[in-house]
Amino acid sequence: MEAAGIIGCVKPTRTDFKGYEGRYVATDTRTGQVVIADENLKVVLEKARKLDHVVVGGRVPHADEPIYVGLG
Amino acid sequence: MAEPKTPWLYPYREDPQQTRLGQPVFRPFVPVSLAIEGASTPELEGLIDTGADAILASDLLADELGLDLADNEGEELHAVGGRTVVARYKTVSLRLHHHDDSGARREWEAPVGFVDGWHSFGLVLLGNVGFLDHFTVTASRFSQAVAVEDRDGFDDRFGVVLA
Repeated sequence: MEAAGIIGCVKPTRTDFKGYEGRYVATDTRTGQVVIADENLKVVLEKARKLDHVVVGGRVPHADEPIYVGLG
Repeated sequence: MAEPKTPWLYPYREDPQQTRLGQPVFRPFVPVSLAIEGASTPELEGLIDTGADAILASDLLADELGLDLADNEGEELHAVGGRTVVARYKTVSLRLHHHDDSGARREWEAPVGFVDGWHSFGLVLLGNVGFLDHFTVTASRFSQAVAVEDRDGFDDRFGVVLA
């Protein structure tokens, strides 16, 4: 059944963040693939302006970083 | 071109911050941007959070907008994750972007609390005042999607709730 008649088969968007730890990333909204990564958020924001279907996520934490509930 | 009717649906997106029992964590992120006086951010992952009182954002985005947070509309201390953060509030325009290629978006103004030193994934937290008072949001972990519709949508479905 089509969900609300807008998008047929809703699946969560997967992203492989391995290798991007410690860097800010932007992903393709259609595929979830990381398309921009840099240690400087300003660089990611600037590059993202020039691309379509791209959303800036934020910083990918290292595996051993403590994760806060809520704001990280 | 006519704006797509609501509800606007967004699939849950993966959050790199954590796994739960070895499984990936999916969250209700929606694409939003902030704007003020000709400056704007690109589209950002906005995390819908019904437990948050307000809209909070990284202070790095205030830099991007050229905001002087010393000239703010008020400061609040928020206790989050066992620590305290300071949010400095400024009213800016917010844009919710449709998931397709139409370029459709909804724009409104709301106070945003900019938090110093917030550098992790999801640079905008979409809470009650400023977001959930503008839209009716239905999130389903079962369907792995979130629906955002006009704020009257709740009353249309369930009637007006009387205290």
